[in-house]
Amino acid sequence: MVEIVSAGLIGLSLGAQYALLALGFTLIFGIIGVVNFAHGGFYLLGGYVAYACVSMAGLPYPVAVLAAALATAALGYLFELLLLERVIDDHLSTLILTLGFSLVITTGIVLVFGPDAPLFQFPVQGVVRFLGIIVPLANIIVFAICFAAIGVAYALIYRTNFGRSLRALSEDRAVAEALGIRARLMFPLAFALATGLAGMTGALVTPILSLTPHAGEPVLAASFLVVILGGLGSLGGATLAAFLVGMIEAYAAVYLGGSKGALMLFVLVLIVLLVRPTGLYGRTARGA
Amino acid sequence: MQTKAAKRIAVSLIALTVAGGAQACEFKIGAAGPLSGAATQWGMAIKGAAEFVAAEANQRGGLKVGGETCKLQVVSIDTKYTAEGAAAAANNFASLGVKFILGPMGSPEVTGMKPLANRNKMIMFSDSYARDAIGPRWPLTFHMGPGPAAWGDPIVKLAKEKFGIKSALTIAPNDQAGTDVAEVAAEVYKNNGVTTRLEYYQRGTTNFAPIVTRIISANPDVVDTVSTPPGDAGILIKQLRQAGYQGVIGRLGGPGTEEILRIAGGKDVVRNFYWFEPVYIDEKVRKLQQDYRSLLKAEPPENNFFYLFVAGGRALTQAIEKAGTHKDAEKVAEALRVLQVSDPNLGEGKWIGQKTYGIRQELSLPFGIGLIENGEHKPDLRVEAPTDE
Repeated sequence: MVEIVSAGLIGLSLGAQYALLALGFTLIFGIIGVVNFAHGGFYLLGGYVAYACVSMAGLPYPVAVLAAALATAALGYLFELLLLERVIDDHLSTLILTLGFSLVITTGIVLVFGPDAPLFQFPVQGVVRFLGIIVPLANIIVFAICFAAIGVAYALIYRTNFGRSLRALSEDRAVAEALGIRARLMFPLAFALATGLAGMTGALVTPILSLTPHAGEPVLAASFLVVILGGLGSLGGATLAAFLVGMIEAYAAVYLGGSKGALMLFVLVLIVLLVRPTGLYGRTARGA
Repeated sequence: MQTKAAKRIAVSLIALTVAGGAQACEFKIGAAGPLSGAATQWGMAIKGAAEFVAAEANQRGGLKVGGETCKLQVVSIDTKYTAEGAAAAANNFASLGVKFILGPMGSPEVTGMKPLANRNKMIMFSDSYARDAIGPRWPLTFHMGPGPAAWGDPIVKLAKEKFGIKSALTIAPNDQAGTDVAEVAAEVYKNNGVTTRLEYYQRGTTNFAPIVTRIISANPDVVDTVSTPPGDAGILIKQLRQAGYQGVIGRLGGPGTEEILRIAGGKDVVRNFYWFEPVYIDEKVRKLQQDYRSLLKAEPPENNFFYLFVAGGRALTQAIEKAGTHKDAEKVAEALRVLQVSDPNLGEGKWIGQKTYGIRQELSLPFGIGLIENGEHKPDLRVEAPTDE
C-alpha cells in the first residue's frame, strides 16, 4: 500500500515538472511552428542563473527563481527577435538554429562554471511523514509551484487578450494578421513565455536533483516524448500526457525496475501513437 | 679575419641545425575519455594526466627516443562514454598519426576503441571493468586499475566489520559499463556471505525517486552504486536519504567521492560510506597536485583517476624510450610488457591479468579504501597492489 501511494505521489510530482516543460515546448510549436531544440538549454540556463544568484550574489532562493525565469525569458525574446525570426518559415533552419543555440548554451556554461556539478541545494530540507510514507518537503513545494505556474500559464493563454492573440496566430496567421495582430511582436513574446517557463523549471528542479552542464539533454528528450504523446501544439494534450508519462514512469519503475520500467514507458507511447498517430489531442496539420 | 668569422658563422649554423633537428622530433599522445555528461570527471582526469606526463617529459628536454630527443604533444578527444564516441576518437587519432592513447575509461568505450586501435597499430592504455577489457586478441591494449574481482574482497570484509552488513543491493546502468561491473561486484559480496540483489536503471535517468521507492521496499543493509557515474550516484544517494533510507552506501567501482558528496549534500547526508580508491593517497601522491600546478599553471583534476593515469602515462613514455621508437607501437608494447614499473609517486606496480584475461597486460598498483563513518571522513586504508597469480 505504501508503495502504491508513494509511486502515485512521485508520478504526480514528475508529471507536474514534465507539464511545465512541455507547455513551453508545445506552445512554441503551436504558435510559431518551431520545434525548439534549445528547450533543454533554457532549462539548464535557468538552473545556473538561480545557482549564480544564490551562491555568488547571495540572493534569496525565491528571488533567484524569479531571476532565472526573467533571464531565460529575456534571452528567449532576443533569440527569437534577432535570429529565429529571420528564418521563421524555414523549418530546417529553425531546427538547426535552435540545436546550435542549445550547444552554445551548454558550452558557455562549461566555460563559465566548469564541467563539474556545483553544490546547489534546495533551501528547504526535511520530510513529511504520514502513514509510513515519506515525502521530501522540497518536492511538495516544487510540485505546488509547478501546479500554480501551469494554472497561470493556462490563464494567460485562455483568459487574456495576449493569449487570445497567440491562439489566433496559431489558428491562422494570415487571418490573425489581417485582423491587426502583429506576429512580429507576439512571436518573441510567446517564445519568451515558453523559455521563461523552462528556465523557471530548471531553477526549481535542479536543486532537488543535480545541476550539471548536460542536465538539459534528458529534459529535451522528456519534453519531446510528452508533447508527441499529447499531440504537438496542444496545451491540454501536453498537460494530460505529462501526468500520464509521470505516472507510468513512476509505477513502471517501482514495480518493474528502472530498466524494464523505461522500456514499458516507450512501449505504451508507441501503442498510443499507433492508435492515434497525431497524439492524444493533436491535429493533423497546423493552421498557422 | 673574414675566414674566422665565416667559420664561426658556419659552426653556429651547424649547431643551430643540429639543435633544430633534435627539436624537430615531436609526436602526439592521445587522451581519450568522456569530456561531457555525468562521467566528465573521469575524462578530465585522463586529459589532465596526459597533459601532465607530456609537460613533465618536455620540461626534461623531451624523450630520448633512439637518437632523437622528442617533444610530446597531447590530443584529447571526447569519447562521450559511448562505444561509438570512442570508435570515432580512435579513427581521429589514427588520422592524426597518434600511436599511443591514454584512456578511455568505460566498458563501452573500451569495447568500441579496441578493434580500431589494434587495426591502426595504436597502443591503448585504458581503464575499465569490462569482462574483456584486455585479451590475447588485442595485444596492443593495456589496462591499468584491475576490476572489483581483484580488489573487492578486502573492501567488503572491511564493510562487514565496520557496519555489520548482511544484505546488499547493487545499482548500475543497464548497459555494458554497468552490468559488467555490477555482476562482478555482486559476486564479491556473495563470496563474503552477503545476500545480494542487482538493480539496473536506464542511463540518462535524472530522477531516481521511483527506483528509490523500489530500493527502500527491499531495505538492504547497503546500497552499492558500483560504477554508476558520480553525477548519477550523487542524485541517487540524495534521494535515498530524502526518502528515509538509513543504511550504508558502498561503491565497488570508479571513484568520484568529491562530486558524489557535493551532489548528495555532504558527509552528514551520506553518513556511512565506503568506496574503492584506485590510488592510495599519501604525501607522495599528493605532491603530484603541486607538480601539476607548477608545471601547467592550472588546478589539477579533482578525480583520483588522474594519479593512476599519470603512472600509466609515465610507464608508457619509459617504454617508448626503451623501445627506441615512437613509430612502431608493437615494439613499444614489447618493452611495456617487461617494464619494471616503479612510479616515483605511486610506488611499485605489478603486471597481472593472466588469470582473469589470459594476457599479462594489466598494471596493478597499491590502492586505498575510503571510509566515512557517522559523517566523519576517516583516513584511507592502504592495500598493496593486488595480484591474480
